[in-house]
Amino acid sequence: MSILAYNGGAVVAMKGKNCVAIASDKRFGIQAQTLSVNFEKVFEMSPHLYVGLPGLATDTQTVHQRLKFRQNLYELKEGRRMSPKAFSAMLSNLLYERRFGPYFVEPIVAGLDQNYEPYINAMDLIGCITQPDDFVVSGTCASQLYGMCEVLWEPNLEPDDLFETISQALVNACDRDAVSGWGAVVHIIEKDKVTIKHVKTRMD
Amino acid sequence: MALASLPHLSGMKKNDSRFNPYDDNGGSIVAIGGDNYLLIASDTRLSTGYSIYTRNQSKLFQVSNKSIVGCSGCWCDTLTLTRLINARMQMYLHEHNKEMSTPALAQMISTMLYYKRFFPYYVSVVMGGLEPDGSGWVYSYDPIGNLERSKFHAGGSSGALLQPLLDNQVGLKNIQNIVEESITLEKASRIVQDVFISAAERDIYTGDEIHIMCITADGIKEEKVDLRKD
Amino acid sequence: MFLTRSEYDRGVNTFSPEGRLFQIEYAIEAIKLGSTAIGICTSEGVVLAVEKRITSSLMEATTKEKIVEVDKHIGCAVSGLMADSRTMVDRARVECQNHWFTYDERITVESCAQAVSNLAIQFGDSDDDGAAMSRPFGVAILFAGCDEKGPQLYHMDPSGTSFQYDAKAIGSGSEGAQQSLQESFNKSMTLNEAITSVLTILKQVMEEKLSANNVEVVTVTPDKLFHMFTKEELDKALENVTPLLRDEAEPSTSSR
Repeated sequence: MSILAYNGGAVVAMKGKNCVAIASDKRFGIQAQTLSVNFEKVFEMSPHLYVGLPGLATDTQTVHQRLKFRQNLYELKEGRRMSPKAFSAMLSNLLYERRFGPYFVEPIVAGLDQNYEPYINAMDLIGCITQPDDFVVSGTCASQLYGMCEVLWEPNLEPDDLFETISQALVNACDRDAVSGWGAVVHIIEKDKVTIKHVKTRMD
Repeated sequence: MALASLPHLSGMKKNDSRFNPYDDNGGSIVAIGGDNYLLIASDTRLSTGYSIYTRNQSKLFQVSNKSIVGCSGCWCDTLTLTRLINARMQMYLHEHNKEMSTPALAQMISTMLYYKRFFPYYVSVVMGGLEPDGSGWVYSYDPIGNLERSKFHAGGSSGALLQPLLDNQVGLKNIQNIVEESITLEKASRIVQDVFISAAERDIYTGDEIHIMCITADGIKEEKVDLRKD
Repeated sequence: MFLTRSEYDRGVNTFSPEGRLFQIEYAIEAIKLGSTAIGICTSEGVVLAVEKRITSSLMEATTKEKIVEVDKHIGCAVSGLMADSRTMVDRARVECQNHWFTYDERITVESCAQAVSNLAIQFGDSDDDGAAMSRPFGVAILFAGCDEKGPQLYHMDPSGTSFQYDAKAIGSGSEGAQQSLQESFNKSMTLNEAITSVLTILKQVMEEKLSANNVEVVTVTPDKLFHMFTKEELDKALENVTPLLRDEAEPSTSSR
């Protein structure tokens, strides 16, 4: 079994009309045994910038901390917020530094850029970025998420519709994965507010 | 050219001590059973690795007037299994003077798969049919004969992509404040086409065309719908 | 027949010049030494009844089993060599379970009878280790069962021939009993009438006095399936029989 699936978990992000959404499940387990149901894998890096780090839980935390470390240095040095693009490049770099002994996370970045344009991307565990203009998925139920998103997603969704779409995609995908689920959290990022909603799911 | 670079001969490499009898030829099957119909569909792409054998090979096999077997995975196993099923159906007809019912066929397929428990047919089987009361049901199997009876199922290379979608759209899972009712044939047909289109987007082993078959009391209707071919 | 005894009556694999297999014919004769068994098929279900010859007052009557359950929905009444019947009933049971295992449905009565027929004609065949059944089975069987075609009664003899019947008698009293069945059977009979009828006929052809101890009755109905009558049920069923017995009732036409 892949070490990426040792703890389980999934993250998905979607573009909407002047908004983006990023959601993760809340399970933390060791293989089939669930240990906690409030382990969120999406982190706020700045008001309009979120990162999801599904994969090996210890690397989720380490990569999050190292990202914060480098982001702080950047912001102190530059005296300005990091753009999603710069942040992604930094993350990609951080991962590639460990090219032959990687962190076992497959990150997703979601946010609004300087012009409040929606921005999403996904990368593999050594930092190769893809930047589609619809949605990105990652984690143990990525294939289930692809199936869901491919049908449910449509362009220019309003924040409420985007919430409904991403929740349905995540929850139904997690229900067909034994190591994801046990609750979910959805972040809807708009220009002047970020809405965080906790979604109840089946707990089995 | 090295033999190893020809995927179909890779099992016969000179210094390869073991012959690998299995290949995965891809393909997906989706089936939905309703109150008075059974809809089953497969794609028509047959492939191995990155190459395509044909764009026009359905994976559905009509074995009686009221049941259809969908089978994907190792194509040679599919051919053998479906021919054996047909032969057993014929023997049953002669021995018992009646056509095999869908539940009987379902159980027979399970025992046929389990019979090869330690050298299995490398296939994902989805069988659908009308039962004696006229309702449509779907039976799905793992390669060694585990049998599940349900109202809908997605199997084959896109099974993981499509099953949660069917849960949501057909099984109406995770939807609040709705009355659960069985879906109409028209809606089922639309969902099947939609899910195959999305499977073809993301799964390289699924594409080219959808072959849809529908069993009702009036007989069996067939239809082909185009999918992306890249 | 017995006068034309010849070399041909020994081997089971050899036809006589007249085209007969004597051993089979003799096996059929053997049935006529067996105890009487009667079956009637009605639209409500099938009834089987057999006489049990209690040859000694020291014998435990309940251990003589002449009607057996083959599957939940099929019962068999046998007449002839009991030891042979065990082999056939075992085969019938295996076939039923095999069918259930493979198809998750009840085998039809016809298929069950057919499967046993296949065994009945395997005498003379040798299997892998060279062992062979040396002679035909000396058994006739009545198969009573309920499947999707409703209640049915089948008869099979040592030649492996099986046919469906509305009513059939086998064993020593079969000739007289069959005659009586011909008269008393009608298509619109209820199951209770059939029970009374089989017991009445059995009483006529039996040498001993009919009682709850020397008769076995089984019904196979669509809802209760195989059901063996208890002592109490037998007593109750026999109450209906007694009044029908007229004084003139002479002990049967049976030959023994």
